[in-house]
Amino acid sequence: MTATLTAGPADRVGHRSTFVALAARELRRFVVNPVLLFAVVMSLWTASTDQAEVVLNVAVNPYPAIFLGGFGMVATYWLTRSMRNSEPVVGVAPIPEPVRTAALCVVAIVPLLCGCVCLFLSLRFYPIGSPVYGDFSRPTQAAILVGQMVIPTLGGPLLGVAVGRWVRFPGAAVVLFLVIFGWVNLAIWPPLTRPDSAAASALRLFSPFAYWSFADNRVDVTTWHGSPWFFLGWQLALCAIAVLVALLRGADSRIRPQVARALWVAAAVAGIMLVLANVAGATHTVSA
Amino acid sequence: MTASISSSISLRGVGRAFGATRALADVDLDLEPGVIGLLGPNGAGKTTLLRLLATALPPSEGEVRVLGWVVDVPAERTEIRRRLGYLPQEVGFPRGFTAFGFVDYIALLKEWAEPTSRHAEVRRVLDQVGLADLTTRRIRAMSGGQRRRVALAQALLGSPPVLILDEPTTGVDPEQRVTLRTVLAEIARTSVVVLSTHQTEDVAALCERVVVLDRGRIRYDGAVTELVDRAAGRVWLADRPDPQATVSWRTGTGRYRNVGIQSRDGVEHVEPSLEDAYLLLRGGLPDSLPSAGAAS
Repeated sequence: MTATLTAGPADRVGHRSTFVALAARELRRFVVNPVLLFAVVMSLWTASTDQAEVVLNVAVNPYPAIFLGGFGMVATYWLTRSMRNSEPVVGVAPIPEPVRTAALCVVAIVPLLCGCVCLFLSLRFYPIGSPVYGDFSRPTQAAILVGQMVIPTLGGPLLGVAVGRWVRFPGAAVVLFLVIFGWVNLAIWPPLTRPDSAAASALRLFSPFAYWSFADNRVDVTTWHGSPWFFLGWQLALCAIAVLVALLRGADSRIRPQVARALWVAAAVAGIMLVLANVAGATHTVSA
Repeated sequence: MTASISSSISLRGVGRAFGATRALADVDLDLEPGVIGLLGPNGAGKTTLLRLLATALPPSEGEVRVLGWVVDVPAERTEIRRRLGYLPQEVGFPRGFTAFGFVDYIALLKEWAEPTSRHAEVRRVLDQVGLADLTTRRIRAMSGGQRRRVALAQALLGSPPVLILDEPTTGVDPEQRVTLRTVLAEIARTSVVVLSTHQTEDVAALCERVVVLDRGRIRYDGAVTELVDRAAGRVWLADRPDPQATVSWRTGTGRYRNVGIQSRDGVEHVEPSLEDAYLLLRGGLPDSLPSAGAAS
């Protein structure tokens, strides 16, 4: 038996326009998330006040990375998981899971923009070229600040989406945040005790966030070795890996091979960038 | 979107296993527009069959075609999903969503990108399930029956040619059940509506055809009236449970309704219901056994 059937929206135009509408919807849901709102308020507050105590110690205001990156990761994780109970319905919608995941990844633009604002606010107190940033060129100082204050605000939320897609444990994002926070702070100790050790440097750079200089006071600034530029590449590659890992979930045979291939490429780039971040740039620690 | 397509669902040699457990085996079915009731005890494979039809689950063996498309082929599966309404047995709702917000979100996932037409469609389906006055209420603040109707509303989006409903009337009050029957009967004029339920009265009221599943296999597939006819002469009232009855229970009048495979003489026969027929089938009534005669 054959029949002419009409179903669904008359103006159906496929995944692309639905993606835009879906991303806008997820953005609206995300910006009212209380965890994100808390993170935004705290980040802007810490960026618009002089954080001398911490900046004169590690040469950066780490709070935007902590709040927008860490708390942002928790917020996107919850956003991603929010439809999990509705999966029996959502899972048979014509919009496939990778498109929904991509729409969720778009929300990371909010903390990213906030991170940019925080960077500019912070520069009012310690502009590029300040002695506190150590013995780096001015462009390199800019790269360091972008890597420390902007990229984590993108990477954290993207990691939250990836973890939300793959991990069922409700507290996974909080645990991951604590692990990363703990690792970053632990990895700073070996370079403090063995400033010229390559192993200590590798440990410090094997992280989504790294400190580049240590200032006990305004006069004596220790600049650690490595290349901040390649470290920026490593961070961006980690962001790409987070997105691709998230997109793999629910990918059918039409796009799975492409996503998997892109993931291998991103992993290879990340590995190369990490190696270059260790071997390029300053070759030894400088105290000034 | 308009397409000239086959309006039927067909299953050929379909089986589905979960590890060592075979939930479905050798299922052959052809479904045409109308309401098809799916009956069976718990664990019979009803939900598995519905999930196969809804493309939520691939078959372990055999072929499932919906509207001419094969569910195993990703591109064809998307075409099926564009024309599918599915109400699962259990639907969880995200925190903080209103009825309108949830159905609107699902409408977006069903490619209603244009807000004006989408919102109009969402209001239409919420009105259809009797929730027009509760569109702004948070789902968490709703009763179980109201939540069930929210879940049903999303399945009705776009008046899909294939509607798969897993126990749609669970928790719904009698008035709303009657309303929903009217809605489904209207949709079934052009759509295939497959309805799984434990409420035999819903099947009797709505369906022309019933499929009875038992331990993953089709036990009966045919007209509801034919199944009921098989029970004619095998249902009788008595003052006490009849030992020859397969099933008996005390009714509201204080008398016992007995249902037995072997017909009985000298007893007060009554008109069988679909439930009687179903119980007889479950109790071992052979498929080929003719009816025992008209009820007295």
